[in-house]
Amino acid sequence: MLKRRIIPCLDIKNGRVVKGVHFAGLRDTGDPVEAARAYDTQGADEICLLDITATVEGRETFIDVVHRVADQIFTPLTVGGGVRREPDVRRLLKAGADKVAINSAAVANPLLIRQLADKYGSQCIVVAVDVRQMHARTGDTEPLYEVVIHGGTRSTGLDALSWCDHVAALGAGEILLTSMDKDGTRDGYDLWITREVSHRVPIPVIASGGVGQLEHLREGLAVERGGADAALAASIFHFGLYTISQAKQYLAEHGIPVRPHESQRGGATLSSAFG
Amino acid sequence: MPREVILVDSQLGNLDSVEHALIQVGASVHITSDPDRVATARTVVFPGQGSFGPATQAIVDGAMGDALRMVIQRGDPFLGICLGMQLLFDHSDENGGHDGLGVFRGQVRRFPADMPAGEQPGSRMLKIPHVGWNDVQPNGEHFYFTHSYYVESADPEDVMWTCRYGRIEFPAAVCRGHVFGCQFHPEKSQWSGLRFLRSFILGGRG
Repeated sequence: MLKRRIIPCLDIKNGRVVKGVHFAGLRDTGDPVEAARAYDTQGADEICLLDITATVEGRETFIDVVHRVADQIFTPLTVGGGVRREPDVRRLLKAGADKVAINSAAVANPLLIRQLADKYGSQCIVVAVDVRQMHARTGDTEPLYEVVIHGGTRSTGLDALSWCDHVAALGAGEILLTSMDKDGTRDGYDLWITREVSHRVPIPVIASGGVGQLEHLREGLAVERGGADAALAASIFHFGLYTISQAKQYLAEHGIPVRPHESQRGGATLSSAFG
Repeated sequence: MPREVILVDSQLGNLDSVEHALIQVGASVHITSDPDRVATARTVVFPGQGSFGPATQAIVDGAMGDALRMVIQRGDPFLGICLGMQLLFDHSDENGGHDGLGVFRGQVRRFPADMPAGEQPGSRMLKIPHVGWNDVQPNGEHFYFTHSYYVESADPEDVMWTCRYGRIEFPAAVCRGHVFGCQFHPEKSQWSGLRFLRSFILGGRG
């Protein structure tokens, strides 16, 4: 059975993890390589690096971070932030990324999704969709969400559900769905929009924005709640509130299928299979 | 002494992570896109991402296809990863239909779009691509998969491990003699993947 994924996300600014990382047993170094390695050891199913630098120098530094992180982990690495054009994707993949997330550039030019999927394969192209709930109007029977870009600072007027349909039809391999209303609140994913998108599109959906406790991961992933295929979180892991393995143990105990942490399995040897 | 591995660069995706993983398990890796170099190799790893299409057809029909077949026919250790495994089969339905190397009997099919994710009526459909960690049988270990097409093997003898997605049970790994293929990405499957690669390298020794 395919397992739900837990994806810790590191926000990188000028080559350092912002907000700081406070793992048990690790000094607060803010070093992304050390943080990614710790997540990898704890059994993260994928790792996400997000570049939140605004400068060209910062972008160069980010490429270097991707390279150094990819060199330390043996698990899929998704990177995003500031990806505008095809050469940006190429450079990130060359640096060791397995998947590249595009956001504002896809809204500006939706056909970029198809170009990139044709060139690199759908499995490589994640479209990050940032959404915000709109004020209810008279006669609305259900909430309306719009797509926002540039870190939630700019409205697009695009309906979130239609945009997700479009993104999937253009060949995106996954949708990384972030609620700007919930992001940073630590009071849980926006389950309504997560569920609507997850049940609607034919491609996997990663829930993002708002996780503050393990219960939130469960809600996002449970089929009857958020129904997402993967759960992304930042601060609960950064601040050492929980390890990835604790999160997985909690989810397993609450009926969410997750990949067991390897150290719990003892690690079978495979050499017999090869004679 | 490190085992020398030829890593085939056929422009089907990034090789860095495969190279990195092979080095990690003790291989000495040489990357090449030269069919002559591949033809003389003793241990070959052939990775691939993306899709069957004109590019893969060119490999199958060209000098690289001949070189790969030569290594396999000689009985030297060979591992095809993901698309590299699918290419070992007869034919794929992808992109209008393309032939593979025909080393293994079977077809490459697309996952059907109508597989329900649960038992209850009205349950949503399973997502395509099949992305993430799934367990393989008989050993129950987890590996990382990302693919929309799967192999339908015509010879059960070739199937070493299976994996299930929805109602489809497909080969996760195939093996005949010293020729191996894996649908998952061992280079992205943490310790399970590294053990798999190490076993391939060591198994190839004798």
